[in-house]
Amino acid sequence: MTRQMSAALVWVAVVAWAAGAAAQPAVDELRIIAPAAPGGGWDQTARVMQTALQRAGLVRIAPVENVPGAAGTIGLARFIGAEAGRRDVVMVSGLIMLGGIVTHHAPVTLHDVTLLARLTGEYEVIAVPATSPFRTLRDLLDAFTARPESISWGGGSAGGSDQILAGLVADAVGVSPSRVNYIAFSGGGESLAAILGGQVSVGVNGLAEFAPQIEAGTLRPLAISSAERLPGVEVPTLREQGLAIDFENWRSLVAPPGVAPADRARLDSLIAAMVVSPAWRESLARYRWLDRYLTGDAFLQFAAAEETRVRDVLRKFAAGQESSRTSPEPYPWLVIAGLLVTGALLARQIVRSGRGQSAEGSGRAPVALLAAAAVLHLLLLERAGFVLAAAVLFWLAARAFDPRHPVRDGMFAVGVSVSTYLLFAHVLHLSLPAGLLAGWL
Amino acid sequence: MNTIELLRGGFDSALSWTHLLWAFAGVTLGTAVGVLPGIGPALTVALLLPITFNLDPTSAFIMFGGIYYGAMYGGSTTSILLNTPGETASIATAIDGYAMARQGRGASALTTAAIGSFVAGTLATIALTFFSPLLASVALRFGPAEYFALAVLAFTTVSALIGGSLTRGLFSLFLGLALGLVGIDQLTGDARFAFGIPQLLDGIDVLILVIGLFAVGETFYQAWRHGRDEPEVIALQTFTGMSRQDWSRSWRPWLRGTAIGFPLGVLPVGGSVIPTFLSYSVEKRLSATPEEFGRGAIEGVAGPEAANNAAAAGVLVPLLTLGLPSSATAAVLLAAFEQYGLQPGPLLFSSRPDLVWTLIASLYIGNVMLLVLNLPLVGVWARVMLVPRPLLFGGILVLASLGTYSLNASMLDVVLLFATGVVGCAMRVHDVPLVPAVLGLVLGPLAELQFRRALAISEGDLTVFLTRPLCAALLAVSVAALITPAVVKVRRA
Repeated sequence: MTRQMSAALVWVAVVAWAAGAAAQPAVDELRIIAPAAPGGGWDQTARVMQTALQRAGLVRIAPVENVPGAAGTIGLARFIGAEAGRRDVVMVSGLIMLGGIVTHHAPVTLHDVTLLARLTGEYEVIAVPATSPFRTLRDLLDAFTARPESISWGGGSAGGSDQILAGLVADAVGVSPSRVNYIAFSGGGESLAAILGGQVSVGVNGLAEFAPQIEAGTLRPLAISSAERLPGVEVPTLREQGLAIDFENWRSLVAPPGVAPADRARLDSLIAAMVVSPAWRESLARYRWLDRYLTGDAFLQFAAAEETRVRDVLRKFAAGQESSRTSPEPYPWLVIAGLLVTGALLARQIVRSGRGQSAEGSGRAPVALLAAAAVLHLLLLERAGFVLAAAVLFWLAARAFDPRHPVRDGMFAVGVSVSTYLLFAHVLHLSLPAGLLAGWL
Repeated sequence: MNTIELLRGGFDSALSWTHLLWAFAGVTLGTAVGVLPGIGPALTVALLLPITFNLDPTSAFIMFGGIYYGAMYGGSTTSILLNTPGETASIATAIDGYAMARQGRGASALTTAAIGSFVAGTLATIALTFFSPLLASVALRFGPAEYFALAVLAFTTVSALIGGSLTRGLFSLFLGLALGLVGIDQLTGDARFAFGIPQLLDGIDVLILVIGLFAVGETFYQAWRHGRDEPEVIALQTFTGMSRQDWSRSWRPWLRGTAIGFPLGVLPVGGSVIPTFLSYSVEKRLSATPEEFGRGAIEGVAGPEAANNAAAAGVLVPLLTLGLPSSATAAVLLAAFEQYGLQPGPLLFSSRPDLVWTLIASLYIGNVMLLVLNLPLVGVWARVMLVPRPLLFGGILVLASLGTYSLNASMLDVVLLFATGVVGCAMRVHDVPLVPAVLGLVLGPLAELQFRRALAISEGDLTVFLTRPLCAALLAVSVAALITPAVVKVRRA
């Protein structure tokens, strides 16, 4: 590992240094939390912000941290818990998080954070594969109103923008959203593959995801959720086909709860400068995002109206879902029964065979020391920082195997923890808790 | 222009000094991150994206391709030498690879893994070059019913991994299935078995189970044995190369692994678990000496290692031809395409042929580089076994914790890591096989989800699994895979 890796790292360090060597910035560090995995819309938004802020010289360094899961509600809960009152961190959020809060019954909401600004929006498109019998939205809706369950709607995760739009369309044609046969896929390529392959009757997704397929003629767009036709996009709107729905998947930025007014003002001016920077404008065009910059009371009112709309349609979805045929009931209980039965059989075998190899127990002391090392490590990790926690773990673990070289082990413990920390935190900008040594390393 | 000419154009561009340099940087970095537990190619590419913003897209993608292939090579190293696979792709390798390392045949295992990866990577890249559009259209015929059938087929491989005791194997499997229940039910969005803990809503990451059971569990187990037994002395027979017998036992598994891995990689669901374990169980079934599996059969390393590299190339097929990302790394690569204003999709081949063909050509070159890079390293890596144990295991624990924390920046994940480590140690002490638990966690949720999706689309009609020909065929193969060994046994008796 040593030689080839150090060569690679020297190279990465040089590139990183060259990229960061811009003018003297106004703010030293602003952390951007993307409450999603790398690759998705929120992650892209965070990384575009990172580039725009750094390039415009507004912020010296803007590391992105991914806290993925559950439509952003995991990131939201962590943001409220761990970052309250901090002035150097923001989180990407948006419509999908509103849906996630309702669908997953999250104990926290967007009322618990400081809403800063709406940034972008993306229109949704309803489309069918090129081979579908449905030529127009009317064809589709006729079949849908005649027998709602026979139309399967494929889209992203449950409670997300795709399902919300499917529900709004059903509501608008007088069908209860609870009768929408919505097939949730885990975003990305999975839903697109199912739509292209004709596995579902119709697909809902963002314009950017569908656009290459529409251009190539593999998908036939039936409607777009914009209020008016978009220039260069030959897709009829829902409105001109008789459905009074304007809908977009908007993305916004929030600050932790309890931010001081002066810090809030500083963040506001930072964002205002970012959204007019050339790097930001370029990215909007590249990702086909709409500029939806909105702040202050106007944004608060907008967010409140959207929350009501999302809550309303998702509640209608949930009504009557208990009796749904997709109910998962038998499977979990089968698994738990299987675990209990095999566990009991195994326990009996172990007891009968004289408690297995563990009877002698002379291996307990090193294992106990290792367990103590693990517990100490867990206690120290976020309190004292990665370096101290890792050094303690390394040193005690080494002693569990051989207690004869405390000094050698100690030196290696410090060396390994400091070098891994420097490598990952500074060269790769991976977020690790700095803890007590924050000013030193 | 035909494919050959386009490919030649790609080679002309990829063989420039700058592009070769980026390819080398990529494969080196990829090998390095492949060795580290938890730090995978997806995270690496995501971290490099802002840094590479000023590069021209071709250079950047050549490097990303190198990282992607390199990580597949690097992943096998820790599995074989230390029984600590850092990701799902190299679990199957650990079973026989570690057994070989303990017999002093670590260098042979590493060599067959490296050459197998090269053979599979190259053959799969050839298939990618010539058959992409065809394969992509076949992949689209897989709907939820077919994926359910595929998961069922993958479940039959558990029988090859269960070991001596049925009770112990089934307990391990049910443990994995039960862990798979935790988290949001994807179809309805309801939380299940999350006990009100937000971090559990997204389920238990399979990487935590893998690193916990294997890396941390192995450390605890070695500590437990250390106090009881004399330390195991591992005689290193050789630092390089494979014997003539190793070669003759490896080449067929390489080819079979490629044949299994590539098509399964093309399918937009599943990852590398299904191809590697299907390859492992096929090798065990075809072997004249199946009892050697688990005790250091070189076929058990050669097959899965070829399969995971071939699958990695397969993932690029839907990405380049349809713009469909089917793995975490592919999703990041898709985001990278978008960063450069490129639209991967059905038109990418015609709109940016220069980029696509340079990328494909550099995959061939990257494979050669990886072989050249990794073969001499085999001797170096094999000497890892000589590092004093206390330092080795201290380092493994630190890296395991770092890799886990970097997944979601969640303390709960690190707590789970050490908890599964203790469970893994207890399972080793009581001879409970670890692999069925990982398969249960991966395949259980997949099978359940696809089964219910298929039923939702068919409005509850169960015959959908028999009337769709592909699905019915896969289910028939699964039944045959379960029944045949029993029939053979009865006949022999």
